[in-house]
Amino acid sequence: MSENLTLLALFSDVEPASRGIETLHELGLEDKDINVLSGIPLKNTILGRPAAKTNVPRIGMLGALLGLGLGLFFIQGIPLIYPLYVGGQSLFPIPPTLIISFEMAMLGLMGFSFIGVFIESRFPSFEPENYVPEVSDGKIAVFFSCPPDLQNKATGLLSTAGAEVVKPVEAQQL
Amino acid sequence: MAVTAKALPHAHAQEEHEDPREHLMLDPRPRGEMNAMAMEAMLSTNWKFWLVIVILAATVAYCLFYEWGVLIFEGQGVAGVTRPDYWGVFLVDVVFWIGISHAGTFISALLRVLKVEARRPFTRAAELMTTFGLVQAGISVFLHLGRVWLTYWMIPLPNQRGLWPDFHSPLMWDFMAITTYLLCSTMYLYMPLIPDLAMARDRSTGWRKLLYRVMALGFRGNEFQWKHLTTAMNIFAFAIIPVMFSVHTIVSWDFAMASRPGWSSTVFGPYFVIGALHSGIAAVLLVLFLIRSTMKHMDYFLRLEHFDFLGKLSLVISMIWAYFYFNDYIVPWYGGGTIEKTLLDFLARGPASPLWYAMLFCNIVVPWAILWNKNWRRKPWLLALVGIAVNIGMYLERYIIIPVTVTITRDPFTWRLYHPAIEIPITIGMFALFLLLYMLASRIIPLIPVWEVEEGQAAHSLRKLGKTEVVSLSELE
Amino acid sequence: MSHAHEHAHEHQDATPKALSATGKWGMVIDQDLCTGCQACVAACAMENNLSFIGEDDVAYGRSMQWIRIERYWQGEYPKVSMTDYQPMMCQQCGNAPCEPVCPVYASVHSASEDLNVQVYNRCIGTRYCANNCPYQVREFNWRDWPLPEPMSNRLNPDVTVRQRGVMEKCTFCIQRIHTGENTAAAANRDVLDGEVVPACAQACPANAITFGRIDDPTTQVAQLAQDSRGYHQLEEMNTLPRVTYLKGGSKHGSNG
Repeated sequence: MSENLTLLALFSDVEPASRGIETLHELGLEDKDINVLSGIPLKNTILGRPAAKTNVPRIGMLGALLGLGLGLFFIQGIPLIYPLYVGGQSLFPIPPTLIISFEMAMLGLMGFSFIGVFIESRFPSFEPENYVPEVSDGKIAVFFSCPPDLQNKATGLLSTAGAEVVKPVEAQQL
Repeated sequence: MAVTAKALPHAHAQEEHEDPREHLMLDPRPRGEMNAMAMEAMLSTNWKFWLVIVILAATVAYCLFYEWGVLIFEGQGVAGVTRPDYWGVFLVDVVFWIGISHAGTFISALLRVLKVEARRPFTRAAELMTTFGLVQAGISVFLHLGRVWLTYWMIPLPNQRGLWPDFHSPLMWDFMAITTYLLCSTMYLYMPLIPDLAMARDRSTGWRKLLYRVMALGFRGNEFQWKHLTTAMNIFAFAIIPVMFSVHTIVSWDFAMASRPGWSSTVFGPYFVIGALHSGIAAVLLVLFLIRSTMKHMDYFLRLEHFDFLGKLSLVISMIWAYFYFNDYIVPWYGGGTIEKTLLDFLARGPASPLWYAMLFCNIVVPWAILWNKNWRRKPWLLALVGIAVNIGMYLERYIIIPVTVTITRDPFTWRLYHPAIEIPITIGMFALFLLLYMLASRIIPLIPVWEVEEGQAAHSLRKLGKTEVVSLSELE
Repeated sequence: MSHAHEHAHEHQDATPKALSATGKWGMVIDQDLCTGCQACVAACAMENNLSFIGEDDVAYGRSMQWIRIERYWQGEYPKVSMTDYQPMMCQQCGNAPCEPVCPVYASVHSASEDLNVQVYNRCIGTRYCANNCPYQVREFNWRDWPLPEPMSNRLNPDVTVRQRGVMEKCTFCIQRIHTGENTAAAANRDVLDGEVVPACAQACPANAITFGRIDDPTTQVAQLAQDSRGYHQLEEMNTLPRVTYLKGGSKHGSNG
């Protein structure tokens, strides 16, 4: 039995793309065999796709906690190891504690969210992967892997559903 | 006793003449075409462009870098600072540039959170102002230090001497806040830029293709990448707003925490934040006018409706600024002590009083006189002039708050007027550096977030309501 | 008198407010005696290696005087009425506004001497401390003013010289305080009243400046500070200064 082929169906708009994906479901393809690329973010329900999960918020919260800890070290820990009186103020002043904790927590939240995007998306990724430049021109590219005996049927049905192009592709270097 | 409702003659006449395609969101073009426009705007330069670049570069080299060298070598004595005016134009520059930088965050974060669609084409242009404005602010901080080569002592890292910086000081809060703001707004500039860099990568050759290929990080636009990216962007949009408010508040606390007459005011926090927005939005107006007039295809993306919107925003902010300034003035005027009233008298009648009146004129009279009129708000050149006037006014405002107010101390023996010296060429050099960086950036990255424009256009449609067509905005997220 | 080190550890737990109400070293300036002769200014400059600034800078306000004589007058000559001469130097405040604003701990409160100390080699020159001083007594090194040989021979070896970009101010002649304390410790006794004399007090021909341990009620300075003519400058700022001024009764001033 020969390997599954990777095919690309290129759609110009949301309507035909969602019909195309429905067609693929009817052909028996599973969600994990289908990969959708688009030029703008599309909510998963628009195209009938499963919800994409992300850990970025959790990574961000971790960063916020680390940042908070760092801020507390700055304003409460430093006077412990380096006690110097200034201006009759307490060694452990409360209002500056709030300020510094806030800033460092925010830095941690945003910094780690940013890093989270890299981690979750495995950026930078220059390995050969399924991609066509038309995606950045607004087209919706549906990559799917199907057994070779289904290829002709899939091509026909997808063209009927409104695909501009249906063809087999190989993973390209960016 | 019937109650009849009359149609407002105004609104009716307006709708008959308005073409919905005047609005960017209702005038969609194929994405490929918009991409081509953005790329062409980025790639096309002419001899005038390069001439301006050369002039700016020469100005930066002499006025900023050479004169800064003189300043470091000779000491702060070549500047105009003295007793009691220990802080002068360099601190004015710090506050001014941080103020300019707030506009970017306001537009790209606050307007995103409030789902204001008008922001879409110019978020990146504004965010670039934030990044480059903060670069100038950072330079200005270094400029005023007496021993700038030891600035690293402000960094809280364990060291051999066991010395740490003092977080009682508002300058350390400044350091933390500005660092946070600079890093986060740069990340916030970069993230929405990635899909446009991917587009540029697909349409480039040569060194540009290599540059965009690396900077786009291999973004392909699959569902997961979009999900991670938009999630992070939403987190940033919500989180960077309080940071933005806190940054300029903390900058204002450099003055409010001091016991100087005129500085020790509790209203400084929000007053400075609104001042930052005032000068920032005015600067955005100027920059958008310059972009629209000098770059190709920008009249498709930057429409009169955007100038109208920013003009209205500027008018409202000008009113809020006047409210805060009036607060700051009337309290010492009414019940202030001798020294506070002496200061107010000095502002209104002293040698620097022309600056004070000019500030009030530029910040209040000019916006109020021009921006109320809907037709005038749709003239980009006029709004650019208002932008220049407001920026002059806000620069004067910071000049009055810092070196002018500081003239009046509680010890009259020490009163002395401040005269800037080397600050003048160095400040000119910083303005030149800002423009230089901006102009170069406009030819290295696409200035318009085309994917956000397409996203907005996909969400807007016209639907029939009764006898007319109305704009319908869908929530696609 | 224990060393500064040990004292710092002793007072680590004590709140600074316990120390700062009256202070340890104090000064009294009798404005009735002050003639405005500026001998104190000259003596301080010699003792503490103050730089010579030059006319142009001084005309712009950049004087280098750790103590200065302030004069206030009104009217035209010959009908001029004057207030008392006002010697102004660092008040060594208990609640020093110059201390919390320094980002690098260059302006800190000495726990052992209860003085405001300026750490020259730590200062990076933000000048926030000078802005925040209500008495405007902090001096900044706007340039380098090098002393050519052989003039550099006049420098006091007990005191450093400061680089451009560094803030400095009156220290109550802390080098003389330490010398006095070391001498007393070597002789196994406490410092005697009048043993430690700062340069300004030493030079004053009218004995207008008195200095000593103000926390010791038996010293001359402590008794003078209780005088009914005594007041603090800018008392409403709650800086808790260690310098008490005794109001003059001059014929020319508004004190009548």
